[in-house]
Amino acid sequence: MFKEYLLLAVFIIASITLLNYNNNLQIRAIRSYTVGLIGFVQNTLSIIPNIFELKRDNEVLRQLAVNLSDEVNRLREARVENINLRAMLGLKERAPYKLTSAEIVGKTMHLLRNTITLNIGEEDGVRQDMPIINEIGLVGKIIATSKHYSIGQILYNKDFHATTKIQRTRIDGIIAWEGGENLLLTNIPKTEDVRVGDVVITSEYSKIYPPEIKVGVIASITERPGELFKRVDVVPSVDFSSLEHVFVITSVPDTEKISLEGKILKKK
Amino acid sequence: MWKHLKYLLISFIIILIQTQLIPLISLKGINPDLLTIWIVYIALQKGQMQSTIWGFIIGLLFDFIVGNFIGLSALSKTITGFFAGYFYSENKAQMILGSYRFIIIVLITSFIHNSVYFVVFTFGTEISIIKAIFQIGLATTFYTAAIALLPMFFFYRKSLF
Repeated sequence: MFKEYLLLAVFIIASITLLNYNNNLQIRAIRSYTVGLIGFVQNTLSIIPNIFELKRDNEVLRQLAVNLSDEVNRLREARVENINLRAMLGLKERAPYKLTSAEIVGKTMHLLRNTITLNIGEEDGVRQDMPIINEIGLVGKIIATSKHYSIGQILYNKDFHATTKIQRTRIDGIIAWEGGENLLLTNIPKTEDVRVGDVVITSEYSKIYPPEIKVGVIASITERPGELFKRVDVVPSVDFSSLEHVFVITSVPDTEKISLEGKILKKK
Repeated sequence: MWKHLKYLLISFIIILIQTQLIPLISLKGINPDLLTIWIVYIALQKGQMQSTIWGFIIGLLFDFIVGNFIGLSALSKTITGFFAGYFYSENKAQMILGSYRFIIIVLITSFIHNSVYFVVFTFGTEISIIKAIFQIGLATTFYTAAIALLPMFFFYRKSLF
């Protein structure tokens, strides 16, 4: 009996194939109706969820979510970088010095002598004692160089000392770091007008740092009995924990001034 | 082999009669279908397999001779042969052919044939499917069954001798 059904199926398929070669009104109508019917059936069946298809769709969507999440992270990173670089560009336009931008590729923050490693070196014109700044203020100075890299001493370093002044009153002092989160401004007599919130900037007396660069803001002032000077704590303007990009001031310092000052000191 | 050739020759002759003479006895455009009667005869004589094959061959031959709507007669006559094959009963062919049962089988198979044929033939035209089946199809079925009385009487008389 199976053979008869098979034969019937074969002949029906052959007949329908032959019918399909006709191009009259009836066959066109049947074709159109069949297409509509297939569309209706497919549309109806699409309501029934296909587990395998759902699983595949789920995998594709998960992959897409991971890719998009990765892209969002990269865009956020780029946005932060863009904000920083725009700020730095603004500084570059304002600063009268020759600045070379650098990326921090290494950093120590919990030692007595903390440093940063920059991705520029002697080939980029970087030399020892060149100041390092960013768009906010003073970062430190170069203490070692190689062909393509350099090491910068940051403010959180026992060896850091700089001649500074209080911006509002122009009182001179020496800033240094003795551990902790704040810097210490020394040589400020008790009689001088110093207030919390005063901005500390680099002084023109410094041989290394150019003047008028913001160092920090006075956080607290302590006067101890029997001492001539005030103890002034300064919060650095630069947030070293999130520091990523800096500028090295690669301008050659005023050698004539330094040379003259050196001669006088020798005579003394 | 000779038997097959004989069937082929008879089929060809019936097709010629169907196309050349039957229109002469047409009643309001309704023609009896001699080919259906012939396929029922083959089914009763040879069984379902043979009637399905001959249904396809006869239909295809008719399609190519008439040259109109190729494949439609092949489809409808294949189905006719297949359903007619259900009435095959070994050693009872002559008895069925000479009795009213032959007419009933022709009526059933002709109705199936005409339903398939006219539904496709009138699809997409102004004639509705209901009209195609129950007006044209049924009229053709009865006309075909009426013509089938001739072979029935022939086989009835033959069985008497």
